[in-house]
Amino acid sequence: MKAMIIDDEPPARRELRRLLTGFPWVEIVGEAGNIDQAAEMVETLTPELLFLDIQMPGGSGFDLLTRLEDVPQVIFTTAYDEHAVRAFKVDALDYLLKPIEPARLAEALGRVRSAQAARTPQPGAALEQIFVRDGSRCWFVPLREVRLLSSEGNYIRLSWGKTQPLLGRALAALEQRLDPNRFFRANRRQIINLDFIESVELGVNGRLHAQLRDGPEVEISRRQARLFKTKMSI
Amino acid sequence: MNDTERPIAQKSQLAYWIFQLTGWGMITLARFFAGVAVLDLSWPRLGFELLLVNAFGLALSHWLRDFVRRHQWRALPIRKLAWRILIASFVCGAPIGIVTQFTYLSALHDPDSFLREYAPALQFQLALPVAISLEIVNWALVFIIWLAIYFTAIALREHRSAQFKQSELTRALQLAELRLLKSQLNPHFLFNALNTVRSLIADNPARAQNAVTRLAKTLRYTLTSPQDELVTLSQELDIVADYLELESMRFEDRLRIEIQVPDDAAGVHIPVMLLQTLVENAIKHGIAELPAGGLLRVAATVQNELLMLDVENPRPPATVRTAREGVGLQNARDRLRLLFGARASLELDLSKPDVATARLCIPVNP
Repeated sequence: MKAMIIDDEPPARRELRRLLTGFPWVEIVGEAGNIDQAAEMVETLTPELLFLDIQMPGGSGFDLLTRLEDVPQVIFTTAYDEHAVRAFKVDALDYLLKPIEPARLAEALGRVRSAQAARTPQPGAALEQIFVRDGSRCWFVPLREVRLLSSEGNYIRLSWGKTQPLLGRALAALEQRLDPNRFFRANRRQIINLDFIESVELGVNGRLHAQLRDGPEVEISRRQARLFKTKMSI
Repeated sequence: MNDTERPIAQKSQLAYWIFQLTGWGMITLARFFAGVAVLDLSWPRLGFELLLVNAFGLALSHWLRDFVRRHQWRALPIRKLAWRILIASFVCGAPIGIVTQFTYLSALHDPDSFLREYAPALQFQLALPVAISLEIVNWALVFIIWLAIYFTAIALREHRSAQFKQSELTRALQLAELRLLKSQLNPHFLFNALNTVRSLIADNPARAQNAVTRLAKTLRYTLTSPQDELVTLSQELDIVADYLELESMRFEDRLRIEIQVPDDAAGVHIPVMLLQTLVENAIKHGIAELPAGGLLRVAATVQNELLMLDVENPRPPATVRTAREGVGLQNARDRLRLLFGARASLELDLSKPDVATARLCIPVNP
């Protein structure tokens, strides 16, 4: 598995590298000391796993993740960062406290490995999860759990469970990377998750109204309605 | 009254009414049985009059409680309170005593009837004023006991709540001390230093040993220096050098250091940990925030009996200084004011866009 170490302190990077010699299946393809350098390297080296420090000069580890189009698996490493760790209470993530305990590292890598087995590995394939930061909260959002994506200027509002985090990307760009079997463009501003459709009603002028589970009713424009009918063969 | 106090107040209100009804109820019953059994009085009339008189007593005592509360008697010293209790008891005892004397009840206290029964030889007639006085004294005693119980209960309750507040206060104080200790220890530095040491153990064991010694010195200095102590600038610089050595192991070539302290400045006394705080801030908000790092400069001069100490660091553009960042600086300023009054100052100069300079000014002879 290709991995990258991103930490601004050289001794910390050396230490992690040394710890990882015990896991020959983890291949370190690169190291970066700040997030600009890291963002570039992630694009070219396409690592499957990041060891990511939170506090770094020029931007935090969270800043890096919001910048990446394709977020690989992430293990956060931090020496002391109670605020950042508190902001992050999602089971989807792992973090290691420095100095890193070898046993904790083994545990985290074990989880990464089993998650990797469940993932489709081809690059360029449909996105499965995205990293979202809204205010002081951060999430790894599995896209299959998102009901609705609504364009708000250059941002996307995700309807996900009880929260509606804002994602700093344009809807058109993200659309290319969504699984076409699951997501459907309902109108100029909205993309819906077909798995969440509860019922569809006929509206005026050939429009359709899709009622989403736990969510709003979304209008499917006339042009898209035809496509929708073909797709769902109704 | 806030939400947490309300249930307590309700509870004490309930306790008050239980106490009132039990107390007056007991007096009523005792007199009733005494009247019926000993004096052989007609029970329906006695019962009716007893209820009436004791209801009057209850109302009087309730009014008395109201009066006592309104005039804040609980705050009085015991001697003043004792006098007031005595007077108030007689004031309340008088009307009820007079009423009692003119009812059938007076037979309960009528020595005449009592003596007729038990000591016929000592039989004599009391004059009306004497009988009324006895009745008043009798009732005043009831009110004295009532007030004594009331104030005892209040004192107990206040004692308990004071104890509670005391323990709350102790806890808050301990928390504040802990927070101070944590801020002095700089956990971010500490854990990163430990991580550096761990790395050095394999890379360069001799350097790792050196790092552990320096870390121990830094920690000891931090933990054992009292806040109000003064040390010479050179003593403080020793520990700053240890700290910077550890930070250079962490940041490697990102941290460059320049220290210029002439001999006449080295002996000046400064508050302990003050320069250390400024240097830590310079690293935390300057060097650590810059991908390429930069030069940390400490420069001291003595002019006109004043020590001028500059700590200069490059800073990222458009740094927004949040309130949390300012705590160390504010704390340093407070300590300076306590030790030197208006003669010392500490300013943070952010006039240049990419440099921050902390400028400390301290009198040479405090």
